[in-house]
Amino acid sequence: MGSWGFVGLAYGVASVALIGYLLFLKGRLRGAREEFAALEREGGRRTR
Amino acid sequence: MVAELLRRTWAMTWKDVTVELRARERVTAMLFFAALVLFIFNFALGPDREKLREVAPGLLWLAFLFTGMLGLGRSFQAERENECFEALLLTPGDRESIYYGKLAGNVLFMVIAEALILPLFGILYNLDIWGLLPSLALVAFLGTLGFSAVGTLLAAMTAHIRAREVMLPLLLFPLTVPVILASVRATEAILLGEGLGEVSQWLKLLVGFDVIFLVVSPLVFEFVLEE
Amino acid sequence: MARLSFAARLHGGAAALLLAVGLYWGLLAVPADAFQGEVQRIMYLHVPSVSTAYLAILVTFCASILYLWKRDLRIDAVAHSSAEIGVVFLGITLATGAIWGKPTWGVWWTWDARLTVTAIVFTMYVGYLMVRAFAEEPQAGARYGAVLAVLGLPAIILNHFAVQWWRTLHQPSSLIRPGGPSVAPVILWPLVFNIVAMLVLYSYFLLERVRLERIRHRAAESRLKRGRRG
Repeated sequence: MGSWGFVGLAYGVASVALIGYLLFLKGRLRGAREEFAALEREGGRRTR
Repeated sequence: MVAELLRRTWAMTWKDVTVELRARERVTAMLFFAALVLFIFNFALGPDREKLREVAPGLLWLAFLFTGMLGLGRSFQAERENECFEALLLTPGDRESIYYGKLAGNVLFMVIAEALILPLFGILYNLDIWGLLPSLALVAFLGTLGFSAVGTLLAAMTAHIRAREVMLPLLLFPLTVPVILASVRATEAILLGEGLGEVSQWLKLLVGFDVIFLVVSPLVFEFVLEE
Repeated sequence: MARLSFAARLHGGAAALLLAVGLYWGLLAVPADAFQGEVQRIMYLHVPSVSTAYLAILVTFCASILYLWKRDLRIDAVAHSSAEIGVVFLGITLATGAIWGKPTWGVWWTWDARLTVTAIVFTMYVGYLMVRAFAEEPQAGARYGAVLAVLGLPAIILNHFAVQWWRTLHQPSSLIRPGGPSVAPVILWPLVFNIVAMLVLYSYFLLERVRLERIRHRAAESRLKRGRRG
C-alpha cells in the first residue's frame, strides 16, 4: 500500500465511523419521536 | 469521630469474616483457584525454565489479580442474594464505614490467598524468593490495597446490574492498569535482585494510587449504595 | 420545535462545511511533509479526534460531578451523551493512530505510550456505556455512570504516568513526533482549522444526542402517566 493508500484508509475509516454514528443517532431520534408521538396519541384517546 | 469510624468499620469487617469462618466458601474457592492458575500457566507456557523465569513477575500478578477478582465478585454476594442491601443501608453512621469494612475484608482474603500463592509459586517455578519475601510482601500489599480500593466500590456497583460477572473485570482492569504495571515492574526488579531503592518510582506510584482511591472511593460510595 | 430544528440543521450544515474545507486543506492544499511524506496528512484527522475525544471525556467528568451535586437527569443526559460521542472519537483516534503507525513504524501497534493510554481510556468508557445499558433503571444508571466518570479522571492521569514510565524505562523512547518538536505554520493552520471543525461536529452531535435523551425522558414520563390512569 502506498502512502496515499494509508491516508485514504485513515480518512475512509473515520468517515465511515462519523457518518455511521450520525445515521445511528438520526435513526434513534426518529424512533424515539415516533414512540413518543404514538404514546401521546394513545394517552390522548384514553383521557377522552 | 475516628474511633467511631474505626469501630463501625471493624463491625463490618468482623461480620464478613464471621460469615466466611462459618461458610468458608470464598477463601476456599480463592485458594483452590490460585493453585490451579499456577498449574495452568505451567501447561500453557511449557517447561522451559528460562522462559518461565522471564515472565514470572507477570504470572505471579495474574494469579494474584484473578484470584482477587474472584473474591471481589463475591464480596457483596451475601447482601444481594438475601436482599440485605437495605439492611446494610439502615446501619447507623456514615456509609464510609461500610466501604472501609468491606475493603478490609477483601484485602484480608486476598492477602490470605497471596500468602499461599507466593511460596507455591517459588516452589513450582523454582525461584529463590525466600530472602526477598519482605520486599515482595510490601509490593504485594500496596498493589492489593489499590486493586481492592477500586474493586470494592465497583463490586458494590456491579452487584446491582445485569451481566455482573463480566462487568466487574471489564470496569476494574482498565482503571487499575497503573497498579498492575507498577506492581509487575517492581516485582520484576525485586526478583532480579535489585533493592527497594531501585523501584522507588513504582512504589511511589502505588502509594499515590492507593491514597487517591482510598479517599475518592468512599466519597462516591454512597451514590452506589443509594436505593 | 420547528425553530429548534432549523438551528440544528444550520449547526449540522456548518459542521459539514467546515469539515469539507478542512478536508480539502489537509488533503490537497497543503504540500506533503518533508520527512514523512503524504502519510503525515493523517495528522489532520488524528489530532482533531484526540482533542475532541479528551474534551468529550472532560465534559462527561464535569457533568457527572454536577449531576451528583444537583441530581438533575438533564445534566446526566449531557454526561451520558458526551461519553458516547467520546467513545466514537477515541475509536477514530485509535484507528488512525494504527494506520499512521503502519507506514511509519512498520507495525500497526507498538504500545506507543500515548496510544496505549488512549486504548485504556477507550475500554474504560466502553465499560461506562455498558454499565449505563445494563442498569436496571435510569436513575441508577445515572449514578453509576457519574461514579465511573469521577473515578475515571484520576485513573487516566495515573495511567498516563504509569504507561509513560513503563515505555521509557523499558526501551528507548521510539516516539516519533508528527511534524517534529516545533510545528511549522504551514501545518499548524490547517491543523487548528480541523480541530475547530471537529469541535463543531462534536457540539452538533452532543446537542442531537441530548435531544434524543430528552425525547426518551418525555416518552417515559408519558408512559408513566398512562400507566397511572389506565
